[in-house]
Amino acid sequence: MQVTRRRRPARAAAACALAVVLAGPVLLLLLGSLHRPGLPPPDGVDVWPGDPRWRNLRDSFSLVPLARQLLNSVLVVTVAVPVTVLVASLAGFAMVTAGRRTRVALVAVSLAALAVPAAALWVPHVVMLERLGLTDRTVVVALPALMGTSPFLVLLFALAYSRIPRSLLDAARLEGLTPLRIWRTVALPLTRPAAFAVAMLAFVFHWSNVVEPLLLLSREETWPVALGVRSLSTLEPTLYPLFLSGALVATVPPVLAFVLAQRALFRGTIGA
Amino acid sequence: MTRPRRLWAGAALLAALGAGGCSSGDGGQSAGKEGSGPTQTVRVQVSGEPEETQVYAALAQAYERRHRDVRIDLVEVASKGDHLARLSTSFAAGNPPDVFLVNYREYSQFVARGAVAAIGDLLAERDVDLSDYYEQPVAAFTYDGDLQCMPQNISSLVVYYNRGVFADAGVAEPADDWTWDDFVATARQLTDGDVRGAGIDASIIRLAPFVWSNGGDIVDDLEAPTRLTLAEPAAREAVQDVVDLVREGSVPTEEELAAQDLQTRFVTGKLGMLLSSRREVPPLREVEGLDFDVAPVPRRADPVTILHSDAYCLSAGGDAQGAAADFVAFATGEAGQRLTALSGRTVPSLRSVAESPAFLDPLRAPSRSQVFLDGIASMRRTPVVPVWPEVEDIVEEQMTRAFYDESDDLDAVLSEIDRRTRPVLARSTP
Repeated sequence: MQVTRRRRPARAAAACALAVVLAGPVLLLLLGSLHRPGLPPPDGVDVWPGDPRWRNLRDSFSLVPLARQLLNSVLVVTVAVPVTVLVASLAGFAMVTAGRRTRVALVAVSLAALAVPAAALWVPHVVMLERLGLTDRTVVVALPALMGTSPFLVLLFALAYSRIPRSLLDAARLEGLTPLRIWRTVALPLTRPAAFAVAMLAFVFHWSNVVEPLLLLSREETWPVALGVRSLSTLEPTLYPLFLSGALVATVPPVLAFVLAQRALFRGTIGA
Repeated sequence: MTRPRRLWAGAALLAALGAGGCSSGDGGQSAGKEGSGPTQTVRVQVSGEPEETQVYAALAQAYERRHRDVRIDLVEVASKGDHLARLSTSFAAGNPPDVFLVNYREYSQFVARGAVAAIGDLLAERDVDLSDYYEQPVAAFTYDGDLQCMPQNISSLVVYYNRGVFADAGVAEPADDWTWDDFVATARQLTDGDVRGAGIDASIIRLAPFVWSNGGDIVDDLEAPTRLTLAEPAAREAVQDVVDLVREGSVPTEEELAAQDLQTRFVTGKLGMLLSSRREVPPLREVEGLDFDVAPVPRRADPVTILHSDAYCLSAGGDAQGAAADFVAFATGEAGQRLTALSGRTVPSLRSVAESPAFLDPLRAPSRSQVFLDGIASMRRTPVVPVWPEVEDIVEEQMTRAFYDESDDLDAVLSEIDRRTRPVLARSTP
């Protein structure tokens, strides 16, 4: 890779130190998941399991159908993340290119929608999907993606687009490009980091969402993995190693997704 | 055998037992249509940790094997909060589960909302004879003159004790007729270093047996309560004694509990005695090297304990009510209760199973399970009114102050409880 930046050793060292601190909890999660279940919980911190027990992983998979639930979660994010990025970026672009009055109104509506407590929407949400006969299918929990998952993500895109010089967009329009084309060829490529951030936020939201699956899906086999881990979390303290190994399994995919997406992003930006 | 493997073996055993053998008392009307796939689905919502709900999965499987035309969709919700949230939302949305399992202290809010279809007549049509069951849970689930939900168990408050802690301290195990004074003396003897003698929650369901045993009461009228009576002399004396025991240091402090809860302290040998209901048994059985048993609630004057019971309720307006009632008749019948009793979790509400080795098995801890049955004669309960969970919340919040905040005097706490619970109770009496 032809990187022309100067790497300052101090900065690298600081980044490493930060990484170690942040990796701490994940490491504890890993070690905790290797203890033998059924023993009284340790008094204080008992980090290293004398005899690491990899079987916990299998046992937690049979207590709750985690394998199936992982697939369900993958399905949900595969649908929800691209749809969220698409919808939120289109909506954000519309917001920025609209006239001043419309823009103010749209921002106000988004902020108002953001202020509605999620709990107030549970019952209408369940009623609506129930009427449509859509409950009990895993993919329904990805439906909020159709409105950009959250007004916050739409506003995030709007903010990113608002930093593109207006003259650039005007020039493109004078060239005779349709708004859709301007969005695709001019605006979106200039806001890659925002798209990446929105994708990550949407990923984390959909991956860890438990309330909607709890209310909408009744069978364990249709649950996403977050709900399965939540149910493992109610195990007695003596069985926490099983809960922790379930939690570890649920943590790996988001970490992988983040690492891979970040590489793709930087390769793209630097190459551009 | 190591723990999880034992767990699977247990689950497999339960499933096998449920599949084979006795078919008495299942009350089913749709058996024997083999060959055709399920034509009807019954959705059953239960709450409990994954280990606990495996028993219900075994129950559902056993039922499906006998009734090939019915599918049981088991909805397993981990925590009680999630369970109630999901129930409330699904009732509001008009698509509740056909059957749900709920505690007697919580079901009446669903009855008051018209969400429960009274089960009494449906069970009578299925030849379920209520005289085969203990009367206390049946009475607790009778509301507005009808049996609303069918109880699956008759648990009660007992004292769990860690034999290892008793042996280390050289203290004799509790006798069947021990008194409050014996309990206090035992707790003091066990308290040493970081070991505490006894663990008790600051809730009304833990305090009530002591109040009753002292000749006091917790409410003015069990059927139509208008106020709590914890401040009256006999009740107050019993509560004061519990508070004194907590404050003198024989009970874990608030800080100690924040670090490790009572159950964890009990299994790690930092707590000699734990007041709780039957629900502790399955997890305690699974802890390696833990030797525990149960003793009755110590008496002040008369022996008294408090009912803990869960029942299967049918949702009003469900379109599978007949099949749902069939399932409940099976689950609370001989075969169903045998399955749940073997898990250790329940004290069966059906006399014949409660008095059988399925429950009393002397080879499985606690060896003194008979304590649960002996307590039935002197068992009392809390009022069944829709607002009761709110009352419990207020008492717990205030009694926590009395337990752990030395600056709070008990009389101030009791009058605060009275002041705040009166308007709540007033809402339930027309």
